[in-house]
Amino acid sequence: MRARWLVLARLALRNTLRQARRSALTASAMVVGLALLMMSRAIGDGAHEQWITDGVRLALGHVALEAPGWQASGSLDDRLDSAQVSAARRAVAELSAPGRTGRPVRVRAAAVRLTVSGLASSPGSAVPVRIEGVDPSAEAAFSELDERLASGRYLEPSDRLAAFVGAGLADRLGLHLGSRLVLTAQGAAGDVAEQLVRVRGLFRTGIPEVDDGLVQIPLSTARQWLGTPGAATAVSVLLGSSQSTSDAVEALRARLGSHPATAADGPGDPPGAGAPGIRVLSWKQASPELESAVRIDDFGFYVFMVVLFAIVALAVLNAVLMSVLDREREFGVLEALGLTRAETGSVVFTEGLLLAVLSGILGVALGFGVTWLLWRHGLDLSALYGNDLSISGAVINPVIVPIFRPARVAEAAAYVVVIGGLASLYPARVAMRIDVAEALKFDR
Amino acid sequence: MTDPGRPVPTERSSEPSADAPPAVRTEGVWKIYEQEPQPVEAVRDLTLEVQPGEFVAMAGPSGSGKTTLLNLIGGLTAPTRGRIRVAGRDLTELSGPELARLRLEHIGFVFQAYNLLPVLSALENAEFTLLLRGVEAGERRRRVRALFQEIGLEGLEGRRPSKLSGGQQQRVAVARAVVGEPALVLADEPTANLDSATGDALLRVMERLNHERGVTFIFSTHDPRVMERAHRLVHLVDGRIASDVRQAVHRGERDGNWAADAGGRAPGAEPGGPGD
Repeated sequence: MRARWLVLARLALRNTLRQARRSALTASAMVVGLALLMMSRAIGDGAHEQWITDGVRLALGHVALEAPGWQASGSLDDRLDSAQVSAARRAVAELSAPGRTGRPVRVRAAAVRLTVSGLASSPGSAVPVRIEGVDPSAEAAFSELDERLASGRYLEPSDRLAAFVGAGLADRLGLHLGSRLVLTAQGAAGDVAEQLVRVRGLFRTGIPEVDDGLVQIPLSTARQWLGTPGAATAVSVLLGSSQSTSDAVEALRARLGSHPATAADGPGDPPGAGAPGIRVLSWKQASPELESAVRIDDFGFYVFMVVLFAIVALAVLNAVLMSVLDREREFGVLEALGLTRAETGSVVFTEGLLLAVLSGILGVALGFGVTWLLWRHGLDLSALYGNDLSISGAVINPVIVPIFRPARVAEAAAYVVVIGGLASLYPARVAMRIDVAEALKFDR
Repeated sequence: MTDPGRPVPTERSSEPSADAPPAVRTEGVWKIYEQEPQPVEAVRDLTLEVQPGEFVAMAGPSGSGKTTLLNLIGGLTAPTRGRIRVAGRDLTELSGPELARLRLEHIGFVFQAYNLLPVLSALENAEFTLLLRGVEAGERRRRVRALFQEIGLEGLEGRRPSKLSGGQQQRVAVARAVVGEPALVLADEPTANLDSATGDALLRVMERLNHERGVTFIFSTHDPRVMERAHRLVHLVDGRIASDVRQAVHRGERDGNWAADAGGRAPGAEPGGPGD
């Protein structure tokens, strides 16, 4: 029986090679289709990764650890106390520790932030702003705000009364480098507190709500000013890849869920200051609009994929069907010699499948080649979108670096093989149903 | 050239045993093609019995039903009415796979258009049915090479059909039909496209196989040479048997070294038969 199938497979292979030009044309549709699919998927994944990375660096990171109510209230009442901040930092440090069970997670940076809403005032006017107390060193590694310097410099660890201010805000308040600025916000005790700072640097991200409404000051200054020693509103984590987000979230939840400091207010915390635990949020939860943008883009890709596969399927169907109709006599001979109808159909099906597998291999090779070229230099879309491309409030680097994911490649190749196989089913059925006596007529 | 489980007919054993079923028996067979403006009755109430080892030629004008009858006997098309038995098995009761198996193991086909598989070499074409039957490679090659030597195809084993002459292709087709030692070979106008010398040579091969190995041959033909050399000549007209004549054959002068003189009695050589 096995020998019989080998005979049929060999026959199918010979038939595939015999119609070299037809096979090559059909294969080329599949090869180019698969290569295009791989390339566009790699570019799409690269673009998404870039969107996400750029987005989360200006926001709460791939993973944010915060008090449960903070997302909704934005109030200092919903902050992490010092014990929770320490616990959160330890848990983050353990993510990339050697020997940890589970899939490895690379942590690129972690930033502790104390964020409040308040007013920024200059002698001439006052503007509502978001004030972030940040650790300058950690923030520089985490955020790209320091790279968006318009003038001056970014915050330094030795700074005390320094401020890094959006260029738009500076314009509205008439601020320059060295100008003094008064920040006003409600402190932890419920009183209104003021803090005088001096502008040390200006940034311009291209996002109006950031440029016109954000002020960063040293974390230590913010804690002292607001009366929240050791506290933070969030510990933000930047991962090596957004793909690790769910692993990181799962590990952090498992780790922090069992930590005593996260279960209840720590000793010495002000009443009502801390939530009962630490909430671990993924970027999808923290920035749902960014996730929506990725989903919508993915949907567009799937539409493209369906169209592409429909074209590939029609190309295979057409080629294999034509080949079957040209060879009715041959199939008649095969049945006269003792093949069953199912075996005759299987020869045709195998031909389509062989073509698809061969095309899959070549398509993956071509896809790798083309995408590698793009990967080497990146795909620069600045000519199309300029340098201020923003998606969901995040400025996106217009140079996209494709990302190869083996699972994506395997998925695309599998689709091509499955499509090739499916498209061969109808021609196989046609071959199975030929009228043998009619096919063998001499004068056909 | 031995199939396990099937005794090889020898020159002596080419005479059918008394209790062997007929090689072919058709009983009141009709084949009607439904087509406009009116149905075509290609075969009409045809009853024919062919004994094992017979060398039968079916003659008749175009459209007389010769090819249809061969297709019916080969199980390539089903009768509209009637029964067909091959080696005692009723084809109308066999499933598709069972028919395929019967064709593979008991019937060889030779077509007017040769119908070799173009992607296979001459040797691969000839051994195709043995491959399907799972015969071991060494045995396959041995059988095919021996046969090729006998029918003058030595040295052409590796050639594709497109590189062979018509006569060579038809010899490969005959080799393919007989290499598995089928009990029955159905040949549809096997010499129609061949020059007389090649046609003669091919006939000698088939005569020898019939004579030495007891293979039953049924030809459809317009070729007087085939009719002349057949042991039995069945004339079809309008889908019916018009005459069925058993005839004496003299082949010795042309047999050369391929076929021994058929000095023995040809099976059923006396005139008359079921279809008369």
